[in-house]
Amino acid sequence: MAVVDAGPALVEPATAPARSRGWVGSLAVAVPAGAVALIALACFVGPLVLPVPPPIGGSVLESYLPAFSPGHLLGTDPNGNDILARILYGGRSSLIVAVTVNLIGLLVGGTLGALSGFAGGVVDTVIMRVLDVLIAFPSLVLTLAVAQSLGPSQTNTILALAFFSIPAFARISRAATLRLRELPFMAAAGLCGTPGWRILLRHVAPNIAPQLITFGMLGMGIVIVIEGALSFLGLGIPPPAPSWGNMIAQGQQSISATPMLVVWPSAVLFVTVLAFNLLGESLRARWSGR
Amino acid sequence: MTASVDAGRHRAGPAFLTSPGMRLVGKRLLLAVPIVLGVSILTFWVLNLIPGSAAQQLLGPEATPAQVRALELELGLDRPAVLRYLDWLGGAVTGDLGQSLVSRQPVTDLLGERLAVSGELVVLAFVISLGLAVPTALLAAHRPNRLFDRISMVVSITGLSVANYVLALLLVLVFAVQMAVLPAIGFVPLSQGLGENLRSMALPAAAIAFPLYCFYTRFLRGDLVDQLQGEDYVTTARAKGIGPWQVLVRHAFRNSAFGLITVVGLNLGSLIGGTVIVEQIFALPGIGQLMLQAINTRDFVVVQACVVVFAVVAVLANLLADLLYAVLDPRIRYGSR
Repeated sequence: MAVVDAGPALVEPATAPARSRGWVGSLAVAVPAGAVALIALACFVGPLVLPVPPPIGGSVLESYLPAFSPGHLLGTDPNGNDILARILYGGRSSLIVAVTVNLIGLLVGGTLGALSGFAGGVVDTVIMRVLDVLIAFPSLVLTLAVAQSLGPSQTNTILALAFFSIPAFARISRAATLRLRELPFMAAAGLCGTPGWRILLRHVAPNIAPQLITFGMLGMGIVIVIEGALSFLGLGIPPPAPSWGNMIAQGQQSISATPMLVVWPSAVLFVTVLAFNLLGESLRARWSGR
Repeated sequence: MTASVDAGRHRAGPAFLTSPGMRLVGKRLLLAVPIVLGVSILTFWVLNLIPGSAAQQLLGPEATPAQVRALELELGLDRPAVLRYLDWLGGAVTGDLGQSLVSRQPVTDLLGERLAVSGELVVLAFVISLGLAVPTALLAAHRPNRLFDRISMVVSITGLSVANYVLALLLVLVFAVQMAVLPAIGFVPLSQGLGENLRSMALPAAAIAFPLYCFYTRFLRGDLVDQLQGEDYVTTARAKGIGPWQVLVRHAFRNSAFGLITVVGLNLGSLIGGTVIVEQIFALPGIGQLMLQAINTRDFVVVQACVVVFAVVAVLANLLADLLYAVLDPRIRYGSR
């Protein structure tokens, strides 16, 4: 729920035209923000307060139970594990991976991009060339190679994905900083003798933050999808630990007999990504004043 | 290509070749070289970090250390990484990408067939997505915020939130399992008839095309509406009494096409890597599947080649977008910008 409250507060730096949207605009932010909060709450608090069975260690005798079976609201998977429990625990790892990857991208990439755009010259060229290589690099390849070499795990998934969120954030941060540099208040700050690091911290950072946070929301959706893809290929969260991706992969093997095994985790994945995308879009609409 | 630019400059040949647009392309091409080099070095480095030797993997766990050692010597794996990279690079610039460690076939042979399959998949996806996105965006931008526009926007933001593997499985569920009208997996080569080939490609191409369609529709519609609302040339055209459809198609769309071309160029690069998972689901023998297999069998030579191919395609796609710019936009062609 905290996220909902944070919604309007975050919008404070918005420019005037965005305000005219009124309650429709706030609703466009509040509804997806509420959905995100609800999903996070369900995944992290749900298993603690609801009578949900453990996500692993089920009995084969209870495999393939249909939905609404006693004790198993969504039924069970081929190993007799409760599907709802696996979705909730799987959501935990998806959200942890997505938040961490985007935070790393926001902090490291955001700093690099702002530095690059603010300093210009050689610093800019060097940073952007290195990032160009990373951008040209097919991301899935490195992620697969890292997963293969270090062994699939949550930490390695985060590391591999962070590699690609950094250049993406850096590009946006640099473009935003370049636009900012042209504005009079930046010149004023420079003329006042404010040191460069202070300008970056006090003037640049707060002004590029909205754009970066907006991209971060879209990034959450992207990372959740890629993490699912890795787990789907067996290189992300290793089974038996649950993840939406490996649940879908497991369901695929019996898709004609028990399609619901694919449908449940897919639906949850879709709704979560949709919520983040809608949130990102409506924040962007507000902040760009369109 | 660089050669032709230089030649054009010196000979003062056809005006197009000496134009600022071509000079821009030449410059971009030169900038692309370090990027492709960087990607190949990074890949080589990452692949070398992977513990466990390829020889061990090839021979299986029962192999004696002596056997592993012998195979390492045979494959040249005992030499320093820098030397091996330089060897590889020397071969690569002359068109020799080495031999697969597993099948011992030349990598270029392996890539050839695979690239054709992935290429067909990507081309089909682009034709479908662009072919549908342009009319949808035009119709939507014709009357912004009316019913059609609203519906198409809801469809596209929904479509953008569907992971392609989820969409692929959904398509399998509906068209292969429930309705049984299309094959769930497998690939029929073009040599066995166009109809069968397209049938086997329909679901995978649709799985890739739908998110692209949504993305392009959204992008183009947004750009068109911006052009129609804010640009002076639109006001001029309207003042001349040109009909709304004419203004939309012949004026606004021609300008919006530039943004679309950039986006398509960027997508094309990332897409060829993005086919991995769809090829895996539908068991298509494309380059993505080849790479996934090669990673699992530690066939580094093949992985290296695949990655470089991806990088080259990405860079070329961006370059092509730049070239198209120069062809389409007189301001760039004549350098008045």
